[in-house]
Amino acid sequence: MSQDVREQTGLDVASSTELQQNSALETATGPDPSAVKPQQSLPPKVTGRAIVITSGKGGVGKTTVTANLGTALADAGKRVVVVDADVGLRNLDVVMGLENRVRNHSLDVIEEHCTLDEALVRDRMRKSLSLLPAAQDRDKDEMPLDAMQRLVQELQARFDFVLIDCPAGIEHGFRNAIVGAQEAVIVTTPEVSAVRDADRVAGLLPGDMPVKLIVNRIRPHLVKKGTMLNIEDVLDILRLDLIGVVPDDKDVIVATNRGAPVVDIAGSHTGAAFRRIAARMLGENVPIPTLQDRTAWFSRVLSSLRFTRSERG
Amino acid sequence: MKQKQNVYVVTSGKGGVGKTTTTANLGVALARLGKQVALVDADIGLRNLDLVLGLEKRIVYDVVDLAEGRCQPRQALIKDKRLSGLYLMPAAQTKAKESVSEEQMERVARSLSSEFDVVLIDCPAGIEHGFRNAIAGADEAIVVTMPEVAAIRDADRILGMLGNRRARIVVNRVRPDMVKSGDMLSVDDVAEILGREILGVVPDDEEIIDSTNRGQPVALDATRRLSGVYSIMARRLLGEDLAAVDVLNDGIWNRLRAILVGQR
Repeated sequence: MSQDVREQTGLDVASSTELQQNSALETATGPDPSAVKPQQSLPPKVTGRAIVITSGKGGVGKTTVTANLGTALADAGKRVVVVDADVGLRNLDVVMGLENRVRNHSLDVIEEHCTLDEALVRDRMRKSLSLLPAAQDRDKDEMPLDAMQRLVQELQARFDFVLIDCPAGIEHGFRNAIVGAQEAVIVTTPEVSAVRDADRVAGLLPGDMPVKLIVNRIRPHLVKKGTMLNIEDVLDILRLDLIGVVPDDKDVIVATNRGAPVVDIAGSHTGAAFRRIAARMLGENVPIPTLQDRTAWFSRVLSSLRFTRSERG
Repeated sequence: MKQKQNVYVVTSGKGGVGKTTTTANLGVALARLGKQVALVDADIGLRNLDLVLGLEKRIVYDVVDLAEGRCQPRQALIKDKRLSGLYLMPAAQTKAKESVSEEQMERVARSLSSEFDVVLIDCPAGIEHGFRNAIAGADEAIVVTMPEVAAIRDADRILGMLGNRRARIVVNRVRPDMVKSGDMLSVDDVAEILGREILGVVPDDEEIIDSTNRGQPVALDATRRLSGVYSIMARRLLGEDLAAVDVLNDGIWNRLRAILVGQR
């Protein structure tokens, strides 16, 4: 197999057996010892964590969160696949700068027009990061829930993390995005409309699903002026387990337009915030820090924040 | 055939680009020009237009009640006490979008069309059932987008789903400094990519966050920076020949063009 084909299809992450044999890659990605059991490759043992990134309201940053957490987790040595569940309005490919490499999509896999390997697109910079694109010219209700669930299970057998980028809203596309997930990350912004929608979505997730909250696009100077909700207000309303706070920054717009993750922008506060969230997802006890302008309310809130529980380690 | 062609759907494909903010402020601006305006929240299950208008505590009946014949239009409409001529038809919060059919939404739009000068329908994000419901009764579309690749791609996708309705573009959250530095597309670029007439251009302004949280649309207060922008948008919607105010100079971005033009 030529290197070129491997580039196109992301075959380096094709199967757990192949991964085990590829010692160079194993060193590069350092898979969690519990994550891959080569002896049990048939049927594939589901070991990866399938996490849906959802919000209810659109435009709060689901796709940005998915791309950046995926990138940061891959940098932490994990095998990661990011799944675009927004059939008909896909954007994760553009945010990751992979739009020119998309050949097939998840519906092609489900309808057996191609194999999973042929649909996976490997990241340009990171061997252990892949994208499963959504169809652009199809409708969300063409994707059956049970087929989506099986697809996610198949991905969990091959990757340590399966991050599912959910569409806005609470219709079929939402149900499809959550059906295969065991965990959820709800993204909100400190605005009443986003918080209200996040609350609604939290109520629609299965009762036993662990849910974490990311508060995105915080503008410390507005919080200081009292014109933006603070973290405590948001947590009071939502009562979810906070896993990170991300400052608003035009770095994100620049990064999106360039198709490069903001975690790769040197000195970006937003990028640093995403890396810390990824570390917390891996069970590290990284305190949720103050933002760029430390304000009285933030110092006060810090002391009362519940730090995230370690889930795995 | 309906007599008046006065029902507009405010849509975008992508969420969070400012549909609800545009609906609320354009509605306020139209009412300030003396028009009778009905704003319809079509985002059943995830309503927010009530919050943005500050009318959330006054909801008794909603659009699902009206569609199912449990109330009359006058009972479901909430009259804004700050401004005569402005009314809200709220969405239901506890129902699913599938609980209303396209035919029912079309009937709702038709009944409001005859009673009001302008009807604005605030569409949910996405292109699922809620989108089809929101556009069912609309004569024309106002497509809200941002000078950002994902929002423009989705706007382009949605333009193809609006049938033969006239569609005009609102370019929202423009940051002139970023356009100048080459980090953001200009309004001209957006107009060229989407190939439609620009109805309005709205600069990014932090006042919007505060106004949303307080339920006080900026267009209510003539001293606010953005108030004039919505007033011009309203007058253009009513057919006046005014410039849409392009606050930006051009800046062309090859990658974005390749993505956005190449996909059609």
